[in-house]
Amino acid sequence: MGIQKLLKDNFLIFDGAMGTMLQREGLKAGELPEAYNINFPEVVYNIHRKYIEAGADIITTNTFGANRFKLKDSPYTVEGVVKAAVNIAKKAAEDKLVALDIGATGKLMQPYGTLSFNDAYDVFKEQVIAGKAAGADVILIETISDIYEARAAILAAKENSDLPVFCTLTFQENKRTLMGTDATTMVQVFEGLGVDVLGVNCSLGPKQIQPIVDEILKIAVIPVMIQPNAGLPKLIDGETIYDLTAPEFAKEVNIMAEKGVSIFGGCCGTDPNFIRTVKENLKGLKPKKIENKRLTAACSSKKTVILGESVKIIGERINPTGKKKLKEALRNNDIDYIISEAIVQKETGSDILDINLGLPEIDEKEMMRKVVIELQSLIDLPLQIDSVKADVIEEAVRIYNGKAIINSVNGKTSSMEKIFPIAKKYGACVIGLTLDEEGLPKTAEKRLKIASKIIETAKTYGIPEENIIIDCLVLTASAAQESVMETLKAIPMIKSKYNVKTVLGASNVSFGLPNRKIINATYLALALGYGLDAPITDSTSEILMDTIRSFKILANQDKECKEFIEFYSKTPKNDEKKNRIEKDLKQIIIDGMKEEAQTKTKELLENTESMEIVDSYLIPALDIVGERYEREEIFLPQLIRSAETVKGAFDVIKDKLIIDGKDKISKGRIILATVKGDIHDIGKNIVKILLENYGFEVIDLGKDVPIEDIVNTAKKEDIRLVGLSALMTTTVKAMEETIRELKKQHPDCFVMVGGAVLNKEYAEMIGAHYYGKDARESVNIAKKFFKV
Amino acid sequence: MRKHLDYNIINKNYIKLVINKNEILRYLGYRKNKVDDITEEIINECIEEMFEIARTNFVYNIYDIEIEEDSINFRNSSFKIKGKDIYKHLQNSEKCAIMAVTLGSEVDERIMYYSKVDLTKSVIFDACATTGIEALCDRVESIIKKHAIQDGYNTTSRYSPGYGDLSIKIQPNILNILDAQKHIGLTVTDSYILIPRKSVTALIGIGKDVKDKKVGCMDCRLNQNCLFAKEGDSCGNTKIIKG
Repeated sequence: MGIQKLLKDNFLIFDGAMGTMLQREGLKAGELPEAYNINFPEVVYNIHRKYIEAGADIITTNTFGANRFKLKDSPYTVEGVVKAAVNIAKKAAEDKLVALDIGATGKLMQPYGTLSFNDAYDVFKEQVIAGKAAGADVILIETISDIYEARAAILAAKENSDLPVFCTLTFQENKRTLMGTDATTMVQVFEGLGVDVLGVNCSLGPKQIQPIVDEILKIAVIPVMIQPNAGLPKLIDGETIYDLTAPEFAKEVNIMAEKGVSIFGGCCGTDPNFIRTVKENLKGLKPKKIENKRLTAACSSKKTVILGESVKIIGERINPTGKKKLKEALRNNDIDYIISEAIVQKETGSDILDINLGLPEIDEKEMMRKVVIELQSLIDLPLQIDSVKADVIEEAVRIYNGKAIINSVNGKTSSMEKIFPIAKKYGACVIGLTLDEEGLPKTAEKRLKIASKIIETAKTYGIPEENIIIDCLVLTASAAQESVMETLKAIPMIKSKYNVKTVLGASNVSFGLPNRKIINATYLALALGYGLDAPITDSTSEILMDTIRSFKILANQDKECKEFIEFYSKTPKNDEKKNRIEKDLKQIIIDGMKEEAQTKTKELLENTESMEIVDSYLIPALDIVGERYEREEIFLPQLIRSAETVKGAFDVIKDKLIIDGKDKISKGRIILATVKGDIHDIGKNIVKILLENYGFEVIDLGKDVPIEDIVNTAKKEDIRLVGLSALMTTTVKAMEETIRELKKQHPDCFVMVGGAVLNKEYAEMIGAHYYGKDARESVNIAKKFFKV
Repeated sequence: MRKHLDYNIINKNYIKLVINKNEILRYLGYRKNKVDDITEEIINECIEEMFEIARTNFVYNIYDIEIEEDSINFRNSSFKIKGKDIYKHLQNSEKCAIMAVTLGSEVDERIMYYSKVDLTKSVIFDACATTGIEALCDRVESIIKKHAIQDGYNTTSRYSPGYGDLSIKIQPNILNILDAQKHIGLTVTDSYILIPRKSVTALIGIGKDVKDKKVGCMDCRLNQNCLFAKEGDSCGNTKIIKG
């Protein structure tokens, strides 16, 4: 019987714990439970039978850890274990269903760990293919605490089978997973990816998960399942004991059944008796129908931003159009600059960030991949992927750890054909621009017509209305004054007809006119009044933010004017610093006063050459700081602070050089990388900033860097000095291999190394040309090497 | 009759740690020198922030052990360890506690974030977290010790993979036997690095005849390069546990 049919009028009862039962049969701590499928199939069979006899409608294969990592040191293959396990379950199940169990990989995903999204996908894919071939009825992805890992598993399940996919996450008592995902975000992301059932399992008892379940039930539009533990665990003399009895467990289950959960099972500590009691207790109850309002929302892995409740700001600054510095950063692979732009937008009040990296001379797809991976780990704002290239969009929304917004599709058939399949598959929201083959319409009515076409076409792809966001597109007041208000009139027309939200990038309205700011602010206020949900705008602009904040009061969105009062009653930063005695730039650097250094550098630049500032202020100051550090008059934090101060001054100089169209300062180009397998990069980061301070150009490849990336970059960029860091004895091996490959493939290249376990002899032994005992030493090496 | 050392050993709740600011300064390279005002201010901020976001999760379990010539076997499990140093450490023990503790991935996230926006703060935050994880280890060790003493035993000091000839390659086995990923979200990479980064695993011997033993710099792999050891100091992992 199919899942949908089963679920229509009945609760679906899963089995209880496998591990707990295996332990009763003699499984020891640390032993591989999946080996029982091969060595003691009758034990596994009997456990399945007990659950079937207790009333389970669906049993779970003994394959929780049947992935290539966990089987690595065993004599078994994934395929062999999965096949054996599914066969046992099918034999035991008779007319009941068999769920292929897929648990966490046991590795943490990048950037915190070293497992990449694509590698995680491959691990799960192997399990899915084996399970499907062996004849499982359902895929159950469970006990995962990283939604990114769950995403990889869901995609692997959906792309490699046509089986129904159930997916649950494990939460902590703070209502978040260990990696920080909340229940609302889980629902948004999982529903977007098209899972059939979602829910919560393991980690807590049924009582403790109630608040999490409540949050899920508030917004979920698909069936919800729970598989709690039998209470909270205590480890008593080597054994894990859970503190709830079967009736206590079943009582909590009934509470949740009444609230709307329709699928039940047990995790750690539950046994057939629990399942029997649950089944009996549910007699007479019927699953509650799910009727939730559909929300328009975008999510990062930690945060859901719902459009429509109050004005949300989509930060527009990461877009190279008309931005010299950003263009320069994109050409130089300077992701740190893009990150700093993201951070400043977050801090000034953006809720979502638009990411547009379109520059003809760069590999946009690769750049987008890198930027999305970096940003999603550093910033909890949802991302809006902005590109005219469908392959760039697909790459980004595939690896994005959340539910993205795609910017954009328009009323042209060709555009919708390209973008809608991507939006559907990854569950992203899509911005629909109201233009079509005939161009940008003049009237509100025509805008509504195009919006209707977009919304109705989306539905044929299975994309629900609420995932479409309409942009009514502004014409400039100087060129098409009569149609400026038409854009705004279209907003309520569209919103009253459909359950969609609207965005608007409004700054074009003032193009070609003086005092653009006030026009933009006025138009923004008007647009908000017409019902605009999310302006795509610059949150660093004070006047625009003032407009939005005051609108939120007037529209009764900022309740009791709390945000407003809080923001505007903040005392401005104390001006104490300004009253201090005037210091020269050298002293400012020595004292590590970051802001003053920038101001002072700007002043100096008015009548001093860039190079002279570097040579007579920055470097002498750094030398003094370095010497004081060596004499132990100051310590690491002060050294770094001074280095950051110089960096700030350097940034000002760099800006000036870009604006003046002059060559950048470069005393030599150096690659820095923390080697494959190692993720300790603080040391490398300190080396980087010091080298940059002294005018060297650093290509920072980051941490856990594959050998081929280092070699290829060195070759491509013709780099002659590479700095490698490793902190562990186990990763020095990767360092040695990297050096060997560099020597083989790029013999002109020299390598300096550093890291806690290294010393001069060890460095020589692994073939390094130079050993830097600390960051200062790396500067000396570079100076000598480049003879500066 | 065998005495039971039975108590709840999985902790998911936050426990208040006591952070010693001098320890943080030591990690940052300050010896007896006075810290400058700005650094001190950042340290205070970091401590406060760390308490806000750090978890103090731990899991441990106590096993009866059999000591054979070259290996120590943990009863009711598939776990065994080899090595002359750990043999020496546990030779008088009847039981062994295995513990794993972590401050959680939020701390890693924060350090990573600051490494992009404020490197100084990132380095200081890292040092605070290192102090934090040591403090958590001390706390868990004292819980184990307290219970052991109540039951008439003594304990050895903590012994972690990476000391002496106890390889860090044993980390996956330790996490596995404690089911540490499930209980506290602790994982290990192919290079045997624990993730979240601010995490520790350790063994503590328990026995009637156990005497205090110092684990110190000579047991440490980094001894040759250690900046602390060069000055006759230590990183703080050197401890004598009084019985």
